[in-house]
Amino acid sequence: MTAHAMQRRVHDAHVLDRTELAPDVVLLGVHAPEAARFTKPGQFAMVMLPGGENAAVALGIYEAHGDRVSFMFFVCGKRTHDLARLHIGDRISFYGPLGNGFLLDDVHSGDVAIVAGGVGIASVLLPAQALIARGVTVRLYYGARSAERLVDAQRFADAGCEVHTSTDDGSHGYHGYISDLLASASHTPTLILACGPTPMLRATARVGTERHVPTQLSLEETFACGVGGCWGCVVPLTRTSAQAPSFPPIECDGSDVVNARICAEGPVFWAHELRW
Amino acid sequence: MSVDLRVRIGTLELPVPTLTASGCYGYGTEFEDFLDMRSVGAVVLKSVTRKPRLGNATPRLVHTPSGMLNAIGLQNPGIDWYLDHDVAKFAALPWKVIGSVAGFAVDDYAYVCERLAARPEIAAIEINISCPNVAHEGETFACDPHLTEKVVRSARATTDKPLIVKLSPNVTDIAAIARVAEAAGADALAVINTVRGMAIDIDARKPRLGNITGGLSGPAIRPIAVLAVYEVARAVKIPIIGQGGIETATDALEFLLAGASAVCIGTANYADPRVPEKIVAGIREYLARRNLRSVRQIIGEANVGFANSYQKEGDEG
Repeated sequence: MTAHAMQRRVHDAHVLDRTELAPDVVLLGVHAPEAARFTKPGQFAMVMLPGGENAAVALGIYEAHGDRVSFMFFVCGKRTHDLARLHIGDRISFYGPLGNGFLLDDVHSGDVAIVAGGVGIASVLLPAQALIARGVTVRLYYGARSAERLVDAQRFADAGCEVHTSTDDGSHGYHGYISDLLASASHTPTLILACGPTPMLRATARVGTERHVPTQLSLEETFACGVGGCWGCVVPLTRTSAQAPSFPPIECDGSDVVNARICAEGPVFWAHELRW
Repeated sequence: MSVDLRVRIGTLELPVPTLTASGCYGYGTEFEDFLDMRSVGAVVLKSVTRKPRLGNATPRLVHTPSGMLNAIGLQNPGIDWYLDHDVAKFAALPWKVIGSVAGFAVDDYAYVCERLAARPEIAAIEINISCPNVAHEGETFACDPHLTEKVVRSARATTDKPLIVKLSPNVTDIAAIARVAEAAGADALAVINTVRGMAIDIDARKPRLGNITGGLSGPAIRPIAVLAVYEVARAVKIPIIGQGGIETATDALEFLLAGASAVCIGTANYADPRVPEKIVAGIREYLARRNLRSVRQIIGEANVGFANSYQKEGDEG
C-alpha cells in the first residue's frame, strides 16, 4: 500500500440520484463518502461499467460533498449509453480519485477566468467553489451548442461566479465561441482555467498568450487505464516542465519534447508548456 | 482442502498462474491501491528498446466492441536510462517483475537482453518479437521463422534467466514459429500478442488511430487466442503463457485447459482493476469443487495432443 492508498481506491457505490440535464447529458449522484472527502478540484475517476466487457469510462468529478460525488457526462457511445441506463439504487463501482487536478495551491487572491465548453463544465465546479471559498473572484465563461445544452449555469451563479455564456446557435448569451467572448472581455484575469473540446482549449491558450495570463488546460484524450499504466493518453510537453515525466534528459527521436501521460502527469497542464 | 496454484515457467516459480501483460500494467505500482497484488504472480513490464522512443502520435487508443485497439508505439526511455532510474526501483517491489525487450534488428535484442539480464531485480525476460505498432519492423521477427530463430538464439546466448518469446497471431502457422522459438532456446512462449486491426472515423473520413493501424485486444480476440494456445501446446514442450481477452476465471481456465501453464491479464484490468483477484479466487474455487489439489493437474487437459508434461512431472507420486 502506498502513501496515497487512502486517497485512491476502488469505491463500490450506489446511485443516489439521476438527472437528465439536457438531451444526452446525464448527471449521476453516487454514494461514496471517501471519494467525496479526498477529491481535489479537477480530478477524475474511472467509472466501471455493468457487465465489465469494456474499459471503464474516465469522468470528471463534478461535485464532491458529504457522502456524495457526482459525474456529469455526454451520452456519445456504447459505454456512456450503458452508464446512462443506471437507475437510483443501482450499484456502481469506480476507481479514483485520479490525476492531479488544477494547480491551485498558490492561488489565494486575484480573479480567475474559468472557461468551459460543453460537458467540460463537469470538471470546473469544484475549482470554482474552492477558489470562491478562498476569496478569489471567479468569472465563468461557459459555451455550448445551444441554450438547452448550457446546463447547470445557475449552479455557478449561486456559488458566487459571475457567469458569461455563449452558444453556437445564438439561442442564449453571446452568439459564437466562448473563447471569442473571453478574448473580447475588457477585464484581464490573473489566471485562466479551461476544460472543454480541444479547439476551444487551443483558442483559450491563444487568449492567455496574447494577454499574458497564465493558463491551465484540463485535457481530454481516450484513456484505457487512467493511472499511467498503458501510455495511451499522451501529449507532447516541453522537457523543462515540472510535470514532465521522469524521462531521459536527452533528445529523443530528434525532438525536444517528452510525451506526458494526460491521466498521470495531468490532466491539467500549463498551456505554455504544451507542444501540441 | 487447500489448493496449490503454483506454476513454473522454466526456472521461474510463480505463486499464482496469473500475470499482467506487457505494456498494460506499468510497474504494478500504478494499480496496487486497487487490489491485493498477491493475485498477480508477476508483472510483465513494458518493452524497453536500445534507444529512447517517443512512441506514436495520438490517438493511440480506440475502444471497440468487446475490446480496444492500441498503437502506443513502444514509447520508452531506452535501456540506459531504464537501468539507471527504473530497474533500481524494482528491488523494493513485493511482486516479481519480468523484463520485456523489443528491437528493430537482431543486434538490438541481444544488446538489450544482455544488459537487462545483468540485473537481479529482473526475474525473467520476455522478448517482444511481435509488436504490431512499429511500422514494418517490430512484428516482422515473429512472422518470419528465420528471423525468429536468429533473435531467440542471440538473446538466449546472453542470459540464463528464463527467456519467454512473445508470438504474433498475425501469421499463417503459429505452431511452426513456436517450434522454431523452442529449438532456438526459448524457455517459454507468450501466446498471443494483439491482432492487427483498424477503425475509421466516418465523420472525419480518416483512420481513428494516429498510427492508422493498431493491435486489437480484449474479449473480442479471446477465441483466436485460445486456438493459438491449443495449437502451440501441441507443437512444443516448453510452457505457454496464454493471453488475449481474459476477463474471468472461466476465461483463464479455458487457456489452462488448452495447454497454457499461466495466463496474462491485460485489457481486462481497465474494465475492473480487481480482475486478477477475481480470477485467482475463481480458479481456486473451480479446483476445490472438483477435489483437484493443484492447478497443474488441469493444464492441457482439453488438448488431446498436448505435448508438454513439464508441469505435471513434479506432481507424480
